[in-house]
Amino acid sequence: MGTFKTENPGNQPVWVNTSNCKACDICVSVCPTGVLGMKYESTSTLGAMISVNNPESCIGCVECELSCPDFAIYVADRQEYKAAGFSFAKITDEAKERQAAIVANNYMSLSEQGVK
Amino acid sequence: MAFNYDKYLRLEKMPTLWCWGCGDGVILKAFVRAIEKIGISQDDVCVVSGIGCSGRFSSYVDFNTVHTTHGRTIAYATGIKLARPDKMVVCVAGDGDALAIGGNHTIHGCRRNIDLTMIIINNFIYGLTNSQTSPTTPKGMWTVSQKAGNIDPTFDTCKLAIAAGASFVARESMLDPKKLEKALIKAMQHKGFSMMEVLSNCHINLGRKNKMVSAMENLEWIDSITAPKKKFDAMTPEEQLNILPTGILKEDLEADEYCDMYAEIQKVHQGERKTITQDDFAKKI
Repeated sequence: MGTFKTENPGNQPVWVNTSNCKACDICVSVCPTGVLGMKYESTSTLGAMISVNNPESCIGCVECELSCPDFAIYVADRQEYKAAGFSFAKITDEAKERQAAIVANNYMSLSEQGVK
Repeated sequence: MAFNYDKYLRLEKMPTLWCWGCGDGVILKAFVRAIEKIGISQDDVCVVSGIGCSGRFSSYVDFNTVHTTHGRTIAYATGIKLARPDKMVVCVAGDGDALAIGGNHTIHGCRRNIDLTMIIINNFIYGLTNSQTSPTTPKGMWTVSQKAGNIDPTFDTCKLAIAAGASFVARESMLDPKKLEKALIKAMQHKGFSMMEVLSNCHINLGRKNKMVSAMENLEWIDSITAPKKKFDAMTPEEQLNILPTGILKEDLEADEYCDMYAEIQKVHQGERKTITQDDFAKKI
């Protein structure tokens, strides 16, 4: 398990355990707002690794956590996240478009990390 | 704090040995969440699994677990349940494990209506041994053992369980983990044999030769062959032909449960009641 803790780091809506992630793309495909994306990583089995690119767009729907087969991605509890002084975003057209672009980009991140 | 799975897992075994994107992990997660919602102690649950990819299930959860021989999950679980009727016993098996190798045990478990929960993870293929035809492989698909295309007719697990006498039968797919979790809670709380078929993906061994190379393509295919029961009932027979209904397909709360009946036998031997006769049953044949 390494040093990863399931506990919320406090200020993030969604966080990942990269030692469990197998880069199956499922979480990227179910996210409605384009928060996630895959980045190229030469040391990973499939050559890719999950990255959280736009945490400010996360709406807290927990779809990615529920669909992850490998206990690699976690979403903050809505009430605790609010109590810590943060709030989840509302879904926007821009976020939807970004998600469509990520899916069209073969689930790779739109930033330079997703470019080989 | 997100949901804490760590309490229910054997963390030293992580990450799982399943392939990337395997539905077994999603089902494992839904199962853990269902157990948390029910609020039962880990010591009161026994998970019995057979052989196959689904057999790994019992290795990752920190309950009382038994990793049994091929196809014999129900046989072991029946023994455990009769010895300790107060414990919750959950069997996990794959489609080959439960319907081919252990098909006999499955139908007789259903017939006895013993208080077990059976989760059949149906990925339509023998995944662990590299894609041989299983009893649920769709006709016409490529498999290692039928390279020109599968010609074997398929089993409908839920119809089989209903006909064999299981008192709770449901089908869900791993596409909707929230619905799966709710169905699992209902199945585990039901008193009597609960058959829970969960459709899962195997894009590695089913998909690679059947035009479903990635997990998402395989999941889209599962989505295309399932429909919620309400929608399914409204379809014409032609439309129903290649569609599997999801949801709770049978729930019988009246059926006699086997452990209760067995307790009556014990009472006879202890001299607390007379022998059991045909008059004790509403349904005799």
